[in-house]
Amino acid sequence: MKKNPLLKIALTHLFSKKRQTIVAMLGVTFGIAIFIFQAGLMSGFQAFFIEETVNTTANIRIFNEAAKNRPSILDKINTQKDHWNIVQNQKPKDEQTKIKNGYQIISILENDPRVAGVSPFLGSQAIFKVGIAQIAGRVSGVDIVKENILFNVSKNMRQGDITKLETIPNGIILGDGLADLLGAKINDNISVVSPLGVNLDMKIVGINHSGLTDVDKSRAYINIRNAQKLLQVDGSYITDINIKLKDFSLSEELAKFYNSKFGFRSVDWKEANASVFSVFKIQNMVTYLIIVSILVVSGFGIFNILMMIIYEKMPDIAILKAIGYKDRDIKIIFLTESLIIGTFGGLLGLLVGFLMQKIVGNIRMDIKGFVSMEYLHFNSTPGFYLFAFVFGLITTAVAGYMPARKAAKVDAIDIIRSK
Amino acid sequence: MSTPAIIKTKDLDKYFHDPVEFQALKNINIQIDQGEFVSIVGSSGSGKSTLLYVLSTLDTDYTGHIYFDGDDLSLKSKNELAEIRNQKIGFVFQFHYLLPEFTVLENICLPAAKLAKYKEEEYIERAYQKLDLLGLRDQALKKANKLSGGQQQRVAIARALINDPKIIFCDEPTGNLDSKNSQNVFEIFKELKEKFNQSIVVVTHDNEFAMKTDRIITLRDGEVI
Repeated sequence: MKKNPLLKIALTHLFSKKRQTIVAMLGVTFGIAIFIFQAGLMSGFQAFFIEETVNTTANIRIFNEAAKNRPSILDKINTQKDHWNIVQNQKPKDEQTKIKNGYQIISILENDPRVAGVSPFLGSQAIFKVGIAQIAGRVSGVDIVKENILFNVSKNMRQGDITKLETIPNGIILGDGLADLLGAKINDNISVVSPLGVNLDMKIVGINHSGLTDVDKSRAYINIRNAQKLLQVDGSYITDINIKLKDFSLSEELAKFYNSKFGFRSVDWKEANASVFSVFKIQNMVTYLIIVSILVVSGFGIFNILMMIIYEKMPDIAILKAIGYKDRDIKIIFLTESLIIGTFGGLLGLLVGFLMQKIVGNIRMDIKGFVSMEYLHFNSTPGFYLFAFVFGLITTAVAGYMPARKAAKVDAIDIIRSK
Repeated sequence: MSTPAIIKTKDLDKYFHDPVEFQALKNINIQIDQGEFVSIVGSSGSGKSTLLYVLSTLDTDYTGHIYFDGDDLSLKSKNELAEIRNQKIGFVFQFHYLLPEFTVLENICLPAAKLAKYKEEEYIERAYQKLDLLGLRDQALKKANKLSGGQQQRVAIARALINDPKIIFCDEPTGNLDSKNSQNVFEIFKELKEKFNQSIVVVTHDNEFAMKTDRIITLRDGEVI
């Protein structure tokens, strides 16, 4: 006799229904494997995307929000309470989108010990022309050395060298998608036309690949002086200040601080990418819903097989009760059965999920969508495995509880009488 | 014999409510002494099996009192009753109720494993003693469903004996057996009573069997006559 008769009885029941037991186990396996795979894929992708975003978005961006609603002049003069002031078609006028004293602000920021780098920025719409090929895009006027500290531009260079933007007076670095669209190669000359009609002939000194497809298809880096030329503004004119912090988790806090200190709008990277994060939230919700429904279905499988066993083993339950086994013992037998199914199905699921990640993670995908990546990135933190396993066990325990309670309530005399 | 009563009932009534109100046991006042071999007889529907289940704590839906080994059963919880059944009561039913996938030895040890009074080696040794008593030692490691009907019933008796109960309740123990095996079972019970002073209560419609017991309790329409 094995030490624990309850465990032996439970195992005997499962072995007497091998096929159904295996099917019930595979239900759990499937649910857990999908969870591991899906959660790893989602969070891996999100982590990759956040990393890319953190690398390409400034921790804090300071800019002048000119289009904001402000009180009309009439409101300023006429403040009596019993009057209505109606001014229609109000336009911001005699204002510039530039940051006043931008370079002074930059030097203040550069002396802030929490700041790792500051980069001035002057952006504009532009049309790129090579012969008759015309593509609309954006030029980013930057100080490339400072920009490189913030966004590690040099790491993403496919061809050429960022320093040429400093050394060659009319150099331009194109995104690789944009270069493809134009059919332009490094050292080619292209024309850049600003919205004001200013035309600059520029020489391609580099091709850049940031990983964010939309950006690569539309953005070109030029020297900030050239950007000022395109927009016909003076040499102190900048529209944005991008800041990289030593600790990027302080972004939100410092953005508020700079906002009140300089009086210009300051947004941190999370706020700037708020729409993406809300998409992630929905994505995660959908993922978890799918997993939960798979596990619920496998829960039904377990419920099913236990009910079958109970109906078949009624006489065993009756005699166990007659010879002194308590209701609790009977409950333990059937809960053990469901937990055995859950444990083995779950462990197998962890393994299958792990293998699925490894196999799919090694297939070259060359995805060019929202972001571009060669391989899928999986997040395989132990936390997911633990969560999946525990969640699987809880599901099986819940699924097993009802049949177990039913078995415990079996009335021994009813069974014995009816034989 | 001035042996103390193992079971005594006082004004025991039992009703069935489904499908119609029906009084199955009427005002039962009986006493069974330690070491007594009693048979309960009566025609079909007279309430003899019902009485057995009530006396043996399986059925708790009654009014009146049952004193088992001095304790009032109506005051005991379900779990306490299960413990009493485990320690002091053995059961033999018409059908053997052995777990088919378990060996003979494992079946016999089930009540002992629950009791956990003895170590595993000890109760296995005791199980072999019971098998010797019933002449089944050589079958010990066979699966229960590989035995003949007579053998299975004897295994069921061995299982009832494993915890040395004070009383053994039997519901038609010979109902499925031929006369030779019935005689065999009777001899075993007699030996148990004489050797171990165990009380035995047998519900039977086998008059020949009943005649050989110490005392016959006859029921008619739920009343002792």
